[in-house]
Amino acid sequence: MISRVADHCFWLGRYIERAESTARLLQVTRILAFDAELPPLYCWRPLVIVSGQYPDLAENLGAEAAGDGEAVQRYMTWAPDNHVSIRSSIRAGREGARSIREVIGHDIWQATNELYLWFMSEGAAAQYLNDRDEVYRNVRRSTQLALGLMRSTMMHDEAMDFLWLGVMIERLGQTARTLDMHHHIRGAAEAQQQPLLQSALWLSLLRACSGFEAYMRKQQGRVSGENVLGFLLFENRFPRSLRYCLRSALGLVKRLPSLGNRGVASARKRLDTLDHWLDEQEKSGVPSSEHALLTRIVDETGAACGELQGGLEGEEPAPAATQTQSQ
Amino acid sequence: MVHIDNTQAVRTATPTILDGYRAIPGTYDELVEAGGATRPHARMVGSLLANMSADSFARCQALAELSLAQRGVTFSVYSDDRGTEKVMPVCLVPRVIGATEWARLEKGLVQRLTTLQLFLDDLYGEQKALRDKVMPTDLLLGSKHYLPQLRGMKPPGGVRIHIAGIDLIRSPDGVLRVLEDNLRTPSGVSYVIENRLITKRVFPAAMDRIGVRRVDDYPTQLVERLRSVSPEDPEKSTIVVLTPGPFNSAYFEHSFLARSMGIELVEASDLFVSGDEVFVRTTLGPRRVHVIYRRTDDAYIDPEFFRPDSMLGVPGLMRAWAAGKVTLANAPGNGVCDDKAIYPFVPDLIRYFLSEEPIIEQVDTKVCARPEDCKYVLEHLDQLVVKAVDEAGGYGMLMGPTASAAELDMFRDRIIADPRRYIAQHRIELSTCPTWVPEERRIEPRRIDLRPFILTGKQGSWVLPGGLTRVALRAGSYVVNSSQGGGSKDTWVQAQADAAS
Repeated sequence: MISRVADHCFWLGRYIERAESTARLLQVTRILAFDAELPPLYCWRPLVIVSGQYPDLAENLGAEAAGDGEAVQRYMTWAPDNHVSIRSSIRAGREGARSIREVIGHDIWQATNELYLWFMSEGAAAQYLNDRDEVYRNVRRSTQLALGLMRSTMMHDEAMDFLWLGVMIERLGQTARTLDMHHHIRGAAEAQQQPLLQSALWLSLLRACSGFEAYMRKQQGRVSGENVLGFLLFENRFPRSLRYCLRSALGLVKRLPSLGNRGVASARKRLDTLDHWLDEQEKSGVPSSEHALLTRIVDETGAACGELQGGLEGEEPAPAATQTQSQ
Repeated sequence: MVHIDNTQAVRTATPTILDGYRAIPGTYDELVEAGGATRPHARMVGSLLANMSADSFARCQALAELSLAQRGVTFSVYSDDRGTEKVMPVCLVPRVIGATEWARLEKGLVQRLTTLQLFLDDLYGEQKALRDKVMPTDLLLGSKHYLPQLRGMKPPGGVRIHIAGIDLIRSPDGVLRVLEDNLRTPSGVSYVIENRLITKRVFPAAMDRIGVRRVDDYPTQLVERLRSVSPEDPEKSTIVVLTPGPFNSAYFEHSFLARSMGIELVEASDLFVSGDEVFVRTTLGPRRVHVIYRRTDDAYIDPEFFRPDSMLGVPGLMRAWAAGKVTLANAPGNGVCDDKAIYPFVPDLIRYFLSEEPIIEQVDTKVCARPEDCKYVLEHLDQLVVKAVDEAGGYGMLMGPTASAAELDMFRDRIIADPRRYIAQHRIELSTCPTWVPEERRIEPRRIDLRPFILTGKQGSWVLPGGLTRVALRAGSYVVNSSQGGGSKDTWVQAQADAAS
């Protein structure tokens, strides 16, 4: 396939997944902020920090905005200048779909376009004021529709591989960030000395990763921090765990044609190494602080993406150090 | 989409949208005769409208517009600096063309296309027609779109005009006339097909009863013809659509055509030329390209050959074309036929090349390059429509009868300064078609034109039954261009003539 189109496919997958994930995270954090008797700042600031947007938010809205649930939601949902807001993701996803309409087919394009038109409508703005949860649900439903249509209407060929690689890479990053965000919240909450709060936080983390029911079935209702972390990090049958996303991404990268393409080859090697490293982490037990582990995963994945894209653009991959995690 | 046409027949007491519809005096109306009776070939549409209330029509119209927005059937306007896309305005009242008239039109279009193809071959070859003085040599060679550097080059596959759009208008005497030829990159066919999808949903029974010829064949017909002109084995050839990119006004159409033909949509940066062969950059490495349906203008296809400042081109593409290694559809150099100063001579060209009389009439035209015509134009400026020969899209035009004194003076100066650039025609009272006017919630006559599309390959020419009917949505307007407040309508070509007509 055309290299430019492959790149568009990859990014379409990422934007759609990102819109879904951001909507879910906002939805879950709202509930957490209502329930957990935590000061709003402890709930909302970590969300902004792990999205990589805290400096931007602080500069434009003031640092105190990170403790204002309404301000954070507005910023992460609507802000056109915030390049990871739902609005930005939907817009970029729709632009991407528009430029490869002939590759993804009409149904997927229309699903993406309808989501965009609805999100930018007065109806969506009114719903945001009256029934916010439904706005986030709508975003998630529509993005999942697009993802489902991809799997069920497109050829499972190279274009699909690039699309799904984008989805998996984005999901990997989102799960890692969500875990990291909860790491921050727990740190703040420990000072509160409330045993029930800790348990509520673990459940919230599972919901933020769409893993509540899957986890509960596996552990038959037993909630412990170690188990939840182990589940989200290593459970290879749960489609949002780091292990699952990394393995899927690696499998897809291995299928990509790499004839004379150094970018693909080095991305493959990097993800392979990361996968082995994750195995070793599991063997040595769940880490007491997951922050370092998550940082490594996010950074290495970001570097692999840079190599892939460099390969598609026909350039030498950029040095890993220049890749940022908040693409 | 709601189906309304036989389920929501309104009672006689309810006013219908056709009540009180009258043609504009002195103008041909496509639906009704001067006395108010419905034209025989359009009876089905007449009774369809006579059974609809304003409410039910407005509902259908709103659904159609929503559907177009959701499907992303849009165009972008160059002057709009936000680069926003707009939905092509559509009016659901169809325009009907009778079977008998269409059969004649089809012959006339093929005749015209055949002639123009022969003329281009001759112009970029021996130039016999010029030596035989069929038209003034300086007029032709002075055309901005004549590319002397192409002389002697033959297009791979032999065809020059793979895709043509010929604009027709109907004068008050009921005669369809050619207004202009578009032999470069005529656009609009995607709207024809999208409009049909909408009317099929809204008026299924009426379409069935009238027997409307289908238009969804177009992509298949086009890709077969593009394949036929490949410089290599057609079955092993790679065909692509070349677009300037998502910001182009017709991007929707480029994507639509690639999608419906099942071929790849490429941008110039995806292509490169090596050893006079054209390649596309793929994830598996370079792949040879044989046929390019390019939707970029001549000036922007190859910076080596035309404009060095162009970012849109593929360096070396013209070399590959001249070497016979890649087919460009349409061939470079066709623009000379779109020159409005060449247009008046097409009937003579038909007589010269085919020894036939032109089947389709055209509009009487004054060429300001001829001193006697120029004198006439300057004396009758307030009665004429003046057009710059190398402008399209309704730009660079003077509507004499409605122009201000200042506009008349400005054009008078311009014509005197550069007569070669202008032609003039008496204003034709374009025919009208009933058109939905949302503010009034009723239908009123609005002026229309017609752009049929003609495809040509080694297997010969094929005319899309119907074409794009464009409509001037503003009351009293004659400008149908989508960039200037025009919309479109579905065009129904009757499959079989009925006994009465």
